[in-house]
This record gives sequence, structure tokens and C-alpha cells, in this order.
Amino acid sequence: MLTRDRLRLIRRRLVQVAPVIVLATFIVFGLQQLVPGDIAVTLAGDNATDARIAEIRALYGLDRPFLAQYGHWLWGVLHGDLGKSLLSGEVVLDSIFRRFPVSLLIVGCALALSLAIGIPLGILAATRPGSRVDAFVTSIASLGVALPNFWLAMLLVATFALNWTIFPATGAKPLSAGLGPALLHAALPSIALAAGAIAEVARQLRSSLVEVLSSQYVRTLHAKGLSPAAILWRHGLKNVSVNLLTVIGLVFNRLLGATVVIEAVFAIPGIGSMVVHAAIHKDFPVIQGVVLALVLIVIALNLLIDVLYTVFDPRIGQK
Amino acid sequence: MPTFRRRDFLASAAGLALAGPALAQKKGGVLKVSANANPSSLDPATGGSGSDHSYLYPIFDTLIDFEPATLKALPGLAESWSNPDPTTLVLNIRAGVTFHDGTPLDAAAVKFNLDRARSDPRSNIKGDLATVDSVEASGPQQVTLKLKQPDSALLLILSDRAGMMSSPKAVQELGKDYDRKPVGAGPMKFVSWNDNEKVTYARHDRYWKPGQPLLDGLEMNVIPEINTALRAVVAGQNDFVYFLSPQQKPLVERAKNLTAVSGPTLYCVIVFLNFAKPPLDNLKVRQALNYATDRESFAKATMAGLSEVATTVLPKAHWAYDPALADFYRYDPDKAKALLAEAGHKDGLELHLIGYTDQRQQQRQEVLQEMWRKAGVKLRFSTFNIPEGSAAFFSKAEGNGLVSQWTGRPDPSLTFTLLYGKGSYFNAGRQEATPEIAKSLAESRASADIEARKKAFSVLQKQVLEQALSVPLLFQFELDAHNNRVKGFQPNLLGKPRFNGVWLDG
Amino acid sequence: MRRVLAWLRRDLRAALSVGFLLLLLGLSVAAPVVAPHSPTRQDVNNTLHEPDASHPLGTDDLGRDVLSRLIYGAPATLYASFLAVTVAIVIGVPVGLLAGFLGGWIDDAISRLIDTLLSFPAIVLAIAVTGALGIGLTNGMIAVGIVFSPQLARLVRAQTLIVKQELYVDAARVFGASVGRILWKHVVPNAIQPVIVQVTLLLAVALLAEASLSFLGLGVQPPQPSWGAMLARAYHYMEIAPEQMYAPGIAILLTALAFNALGESLRVALDPTMKRR
Repeated sequence: MLTRDRLRLIRRRLVQVAPVIVLATFIVFGLQQLVPGDIAVTLAGDNATDARIAEIRALYGLDRPFLAQYGHWLWGVLHGDLGKSLLSGEVVLDSIFRRFPVSLLIVGCALALSLAIGIPLGILAATRPGSRVDAFVTSIASLGVALPNFWLAMLLVATFALNWTIFPATGAKPLSAGLGPALLHAALPSIALAAGAIAEVARQLRSSLVEVLSSQYVRTLHAKGLSPAAILWRHGLKNVSVNLLTVIGLVFNRLLGATVVIEAVFAIPGIGSMVVHAAIHKDFPVIQGVVLALVLIVIALNLLIDVLYTVFDPRIGQK
Repeated sequence: MPTFRRRDFLASAAGLALAGPALAQKKGGVLKVSANANPSSLDPATGGSGSDHSYLYPIFDTLIDFEPATLKALPGLAESWSNPDPTTLVLNIRAGVTFHDGTPLDAAAVKFNLDRARSDPRSNIKGDLATVDSVEASGPQQVTLKLKQPDSALLLILSDRAGMMSSPKAVQELGKDYDRKPVGAGPMKFVSWNDNEKVTYARHDRYWKPGQPLLDGLEMNVIPEINTALRAVVAGQNDFVYFLSPQQKPLVERAKNLTAVSGPTLYCVIVFLNFAKPPLDNLKVRQALNYATDRESFAKATMAGLSEVATTVLPKAHWAYDPALADFYRYDPDKAKALLAEAGHKDGLELHLIGYTDQRQQQRQEVLQEMWRKAGVKLRFSTFNIPEGSAAFFSKAEGNGLVSQWTGRPDPSLTFTLLYGKGSYFNAGRQEATPEIAKSLAESRASADIEARKKAFSVLQKQVLEQALSVPLLFQFELDAHNNRVKGFQPNLLGKPRFNGVWLDG
Repeated sequence: MRRVLAWLRRDLRAALSVGFLLLLLGLSVAAPVVAPHSPTRQDVNNTLHEPDASHPLGTDDLGRDVLSRLIYGAPATLYASFLAVTVAIVIGVPVGLLAGFLGGWIDDAISRLIDTLLSFPAIVLAIAVTGALGIGLTNGMIAVGIVFSPQLARLVRAQTLIVKQELYVDAARVFGASVGRILWKHVVPNAIQPVIVQVTLLLAVALLAEASLSFLGLGVQPPQPSWGAMLARAYHYMEIAPEQMYAPGIAILLTALAFNALGESLRVALDPTMKRR
């Protein structure tokens, strides 16, 4: 699996990752500086005077120059210290370790759902292009893509949680509370999240698979008398796997983003509610911590995808 | 508020004693609450949000307690008090009370807390104690406050954040971390706080009130969205939810396992006006806005009737309310138009208002927009989150008005001074309204006699109304819901639930 | 023009979606004439009412006519989606093409930047940018467009990379064709297809983003109606009046469907390998 080429690719990427992390957190830090107002207004309480707000600002080091603040934060990160929430004083690393698993469970379930349903649908449609099955899958996919997941979540809550009370309407349970309760709580949110992703996987897979299967090359294989199944597995899927990987990367990232709104609908204590709350109140250390964690996760996935690219299409690795 | 009368104390002490024997079978249970916001801090001195109180009450007993329905002062950690002269307040601290960490609650501890509130750089309640000149421990269990000027509002201020007593030992040892590890002398000990998730409490076994607390523990689960919060109670994940919107009342009634609790509060939905800035520096325009306001319709549209219309900032149940002023501004769009024309805005007028972004607030903005449009006033809104919207209007003097709420203060003098006093934060223009109002404000605070104060407040309220310094709209009713296992809950006029005295059945 | 008409005659799906979108456009322009009521007129005695003759879709929480609000909400919603996607295309496509085709350090640099931007939680970045620009529909949608652009860039880059491996591009290069010419003649036609697929998806996502921002109170300002804002309000009445969430939700769904269907049809029509010979 790990050829020398791939190890070199991984090494090269790892070296490239460090500046990305710095760049990402720097951009977010800078963005917060663009935003007028800061958390001092909130910290100072209900009837604070300007002087009081300035006092708070000095107390929390918010009046220091931008680069000094950023440097201080980065220095802490290098020592494993993400700081504390300005709003409530909670250690950011604690919040992240508590909340990320909650969100990742939902996102993971949604991704699994979308692959488990999306890939078979895509193959089904692509192998019988123009058929009724294809038309059906295409329609389902169009519907799934067009369905606002926020609205779907509302419909699901109204039907399955409020009307029939099969699933809980709110909250989440960690895996440590047992697989059953955890999945029960994650069910509606991940279905709401997955609808769009299923459609996207199915569409993209069908679209690239049809292209490959209709190519001159495959037609030649046909003429040579290879069975359709063999062509599909050996040539079709292998060729579209690069596209599929790209789609998985996009879908995963979009799921992470979409979970922000879905978590709001279900009152799930994941990263979504954490970051929205922090962003609205400009709680810098919390935003920075979440962004850093997200960046790390997404970069790790991208790295994995880059490596897999070379597995499925060796030409890409050998520049 | 007048000084405390001995008779009242005896009555309430007798009540406690009577309740004693019945408590035995009431004890038990962990109450799970859907709470609306993450606390800003669990240190009463450094927190800043009005929604913190429900988190703080279980941990902290206050020097002065209050009667839930009327906000009359009752003995708390101070078992009695007196005013030897108008600028001196003597508090006699209950003996034998200890904080959760075992530190004794004595005069030195009270002095430590009050001095900290007045001088710590992180204290957010310096303003509450601004009239206090010095605090002395005049005995092992007696504290004497010297005031800069007579202040009858101070007593009830000590039933608020400033009266919540922290363990001096914990404060000194923990420093800034005390925000997250509070130690008080209340019925519940703090256990843990996970941000935006929950705060948990356990019973304080050595609480000074006999037989109390009834609960074994308390869990405040943070769910900011009220519909979701109610859903958690309907589905049985939580036992209690507060700060519901009136529109949710039918839902509570429909759920067989739930009980609705509602009652009036001081919480006033109001349009703050910047009366120092054109065009609202013109009295006629401000009066026009008040005449253009159909308060009954507003209440019906936004509160489903579960509210009381407001002309002034005190509700009917309040002791300083003057019924003669109830109809001061009866809805009259024609009169509003006429006043606007007199003020030189014959072809209408555009106002820039600040508002908040959540759905309930937007609904209020929409109703107001449509109502005032009929009188020829066009509204343009800029919306922010609550701290920033408030800062934009009150600190930076942006906009002509702010659609918001006044959450009330224990003493009405405080309310009127904060809202209309010269230089006050909540007076966006910082200007003196009129010299007469300034004089009435001072008079309302000077006397300790309740009848004299009532008269002073009548005069003051009438002057404020004549000047149309704001547009009060309605008083929100508190609406809470709990499942039928929850017993012994009592709403209060502050509208911030206290779970003292609550227990769970079965 | 005649070719477009001919295409629409051949392709029923395209005709239907173009028809639907034109209808929306027409409604947007003619809202004051078409809508039965004012979208802001309130009637506190007639709130959350079921559909009847005078209010075909019922009334909302303030007694306003839901159908009229739906009609008046169309322009805001269309504007929002198009704005976001346009911003995304203008930034994303050229960047992706350049990175994929030029390769080397330029590709590395652009890819890192794309990675960086892709690593952001999309909605959070949108919230932050909206906060910086000021709350409102246009600002929110520009933010959403910026957030979408790296997705497009990355897809275009990946496609370009594959096309580049194909022999004919190498062949063209051997024959000394200019970069611009190779991009235009060989890379763009091959890379455009997944881009169109992705853009149609993005139009649907942009509609959702508008709803999300409105839900968080960062979108349309009252009393201007938008479907997203209507949905956000309906969320608050989910138990009392669940029917409030049907109309705006279906409107968003249909519009997104129309965008998608149109995109699919365009893909077929534009695809060089599927062209009628």
C-alpha cells in the first residue's frame, strides 16, 4: 500500500499542512478584527459605560495589537493550550473534546447513510441509462438535492418526534451512553443531513460512470466480449473513483457546515451551537479553537483523499 | 421600601416552623430544567446577564429576601435591619450559617463581599452600590453601611446580585476561576458547568433553613430556543421550562402531563427613545408615537393576550402604580397625525430604530412598523444580537429608538433613575429630561415612608408620561411549564424563577 | 434564440423548469398586481388561519396573507440564490482552471489556499463575514458566494487534472498551442460539465443558505418577506400550526428543483460528446 511515492506525497503534504493551519487561523483571527465591536460589550453586562467596556477590554487583553493577540494565541496552541472562553471561562479544549464527538457522530452517520444509499443508486442508474430505473433515481436525486435539509428536519421533528413520538425531538447522547440511545438521538438529525448528500453522491457517481461506460475504450471492451459486470467493476468504478473521492470530500465538508443549522433545529450540544454562539458574541478563543479543530479534521481527510487518488489513478502520483 | 417591621418577620418565621413537619415526605428528586441561556458567569459580582439569576439563586442566599408576589423585602441572611438615620443601614447577620466550603458567614464575610462588589475591577455591580460610602463590621454578626445620600432602594438591591454572598475563602483562592466554581451559602452546592450544555447542583446538607432544600439535586440544561426547550419537557427529557412565549400556552395546555404557571412580571416591552436627538427631541413627535400605538392590538398580536398593556413602566400589581394614569395615551392615529403635522412632519416621518434579531423580536418590530405606518411614521430597522444592539443604541447613540424590554428592578426608584435620569446608561441621549423630573426622581428616593413614596411616584410618572420619554407597550407574563411531578413552585414578580421550595413527587 | 426554442421544444424537462422560473420572474415583477393582498397588512383577529376563499393559503402569525407574502418573497429569494452563485463562479472557476492546468508551484499555492478556505465551517464563515459587512440579504449572500467558491475551484481543478492526463492535451501541447487556446479548446469543454452539475446544486444550497441565515436572524430585514424568513417564523409555530411550514418549504423545493432540472438539461445540451451529430 505505502509505496515510496506515496510516503513522499504524505511527507510533502504534512510539511504543507503547517502553513495552512497558520493561514486558516490567521484568516479567522483577522476576520474577527474586521467585525466591529467585540466581546467586551457582552462581558461588561447590562448597563456598562464606555469606560467600563474599555476597562474590560484591557482586563482581557483585547486592546493589544492584533499581531500580539494572535502571537499569544499561537504560542499557547504550540504548548497545547487553546485558552479559555472569554464569555464563560471554560477551557476551550474541554469544550471541543466534549462537543466534537457529538457532531462527528451525526456527520458520520449522515456520511455513512449517503454512501450506503447513494452509491448503489448511482450504479443502478448508470448501468441502465435512459431506463425507468434511471429516471426514478434521477428524480429522487433531484428531489434530495432540492430539499432544504433545515425544512426536512422540521418536517421530521413534526412527524416522528411530535406527532408519533418515535424519536426524541431534542438533544443528543454520546456513544458512551450506549449505542442504542446514541443512534436513537442521532437518527433524525443524520437523516435530515443525509438527504442532500445521498442525492449528491448518486448524481455525481451516475454522471461520471455513464461517461466512462459510454467511452470508446469501454465500447471496445464490450466488443471484446467482456461481461458488463466485469467492465463495471474492473474499469467503470475504478475510473470514477477519483471523482467519487472528490465528492466525498465535498460532502463531508458540507455536512460539517450543515450540522450547524441542524443542531440548532434539534438543540444538539455539538460544535454547531458552540460556534454560532461564539461567533455571535465574538468569543475569539472559542471560534479559534473550533476552526483549528475543523481545519485539522478537513486537512486529514484531504490528505487521505490525495493518497487515495494515487491508489485509484496512479498517473496522478507520478509527476 | 420601608424598614422591616418585626411583625412580618414573626409571621414568616411561624410559617417556616409550621411547614417543618410536613417536609419529611416531600423531600427528594433531581429537578431537570430547560434553561434559556448559558450563564454569563456563576460569580454574582462578575456576571452581567439578567438570565443568570435562575442559575445563581440555588447557590447563593441573599442578604435580603423578597416576597415573590409583591417584591416586599423579607429577612434573608440578614435576619433584621434598621435605619438609625437616613444615611445609615445596619444589617444583623443570621448566626451559625456557613458557606458550602465550611467558611462561616459572619460580618467579615459580608463586608468582604460588599467591598468586592464595590471595588473589584471585574465587578459588574459597582453601580448598584454607588450610594454606599463605607461598609463596617460593627459586630461579629453585624454590618453597618454608611450612605452618601438617603437611598430607600438599597434594601432591595441587596436581594439582587449585590446581596448574594460568596465564600471569601473561595474567592481569594480561585481568583478569576471563581466564575466557574462558585461557593455560596444557598440550598444547593455547585457541581459542574459544561458551557451551553448544563449546570448541575447537589443538595447542601447543612443549609440553615430547617428541612430545606427539598430536592436532592438540580440540573439546568441550556436550550436557547424556547420551542425546543418546551419540546424537551413535553417529551419528558426535562421537568421544567421557563420564559416560554405566550403563543406556547395552548401547547402546554394540550400536553396532559404538563402544568402551566403564569403570573405578572415587571418585564416591560418598550420602545426606548433617544429624546436628545432630532426628530425625537420634539415633544409633539414623541407624543404622536404614543398616540399612534394600539397597545391592545400589539398585545393581542405578540402575546396572545397573556400580558398586561403598559402605559407607564410599572404594572398594576405594583405598589407604586397609579391607576389614574392608565389611559393617558389612548390609541388615536388621527391625533398622532395632527401632532406630527404640528411638529412639521405633515408628509410623514422616517425613524431609524434598533432591534434584535430573534423571531419574537422581529415579530414585535413588524407589528410596530405596520401600526405606526398608519400614522405616517415609517420605520427602518437595524438588527443586532442583544448586547450589540443595546450598545449601539445606549452607548453609541445610534438610531432614534430601540425596541427592547425593561426587565425591571427591585425598587422603582432605580427603574426611573436608570431610564430617565441625566447621564444614565439607559437614557441614550444622556440629557436631563426636564428639571421637574430630576427633582421628582430625587424625591422618590428620599423618604422611607411608603405613602410618601407613592405620592412622589404618581407625580413622577405623570411628568414622564407628559414628556412621552418612551413608549411602553406591555408587561409580559411569566409563563412556565412543568410536568405534574414538580410541586411547590411559586412564580415571582421579577419573572426569574427560583426553585427554592420545589420538590418532585414519586 | 431559435435554437433555444428548438431545444426547449425537444426537452420537456427544460421547458417546464424554464417555464417555472419565468413564472417566478413574472410574479416577482408583477407582485403588486398579482398578489391578492398587501404582504404586510396585518389582522390580529385572524392569525394562523386555515386557507379560505380570501386567503387561498391561509394567514400567518400576524394575520398576513401567506400567498401574498409568498409572491412578494419570490424576488428576494431569486436574487439571493443568483447573487451567491454568481460570486462563487466568478471566483471559483478561473482559479480552479489555472491551478489544475498550470500545475507546479502555482497549483500548490492555489491548492493550499483552496484547502484553507475549504477547511472553514461554511456557515460560520458566512456568519462572520455577514457580521463584518452588516446584517442583510445582499451581504449574507455575498458571504455565502465566497464560501462556495473554493468548492467550485477544487472541482474544476480535479477535472482539469484528469483532462490534462488525456492524450489530446499533451498532443496539443506538443504542437505548440498557447495555454489560453488549450484551456479554451480542450480543458474548458471537458471540465464544464461537472461545473454545471455543481452550480445547479449550489443554487439549491444557496436557497437553503438564505433560509439558514434568516433562521439565525442575519437575512432579510422585516417586514420584507422572504421564503427563508417565512420558514424560520414557521418553525416557531411548528406545534400549533405545522401547515405554516408547507408553503414556503414547497416554494423553495420547487424552485431548487427547477434550477436543478434546468442545469441537467443544459448539461446534456452543452455536452460535446452528447451533441447530435
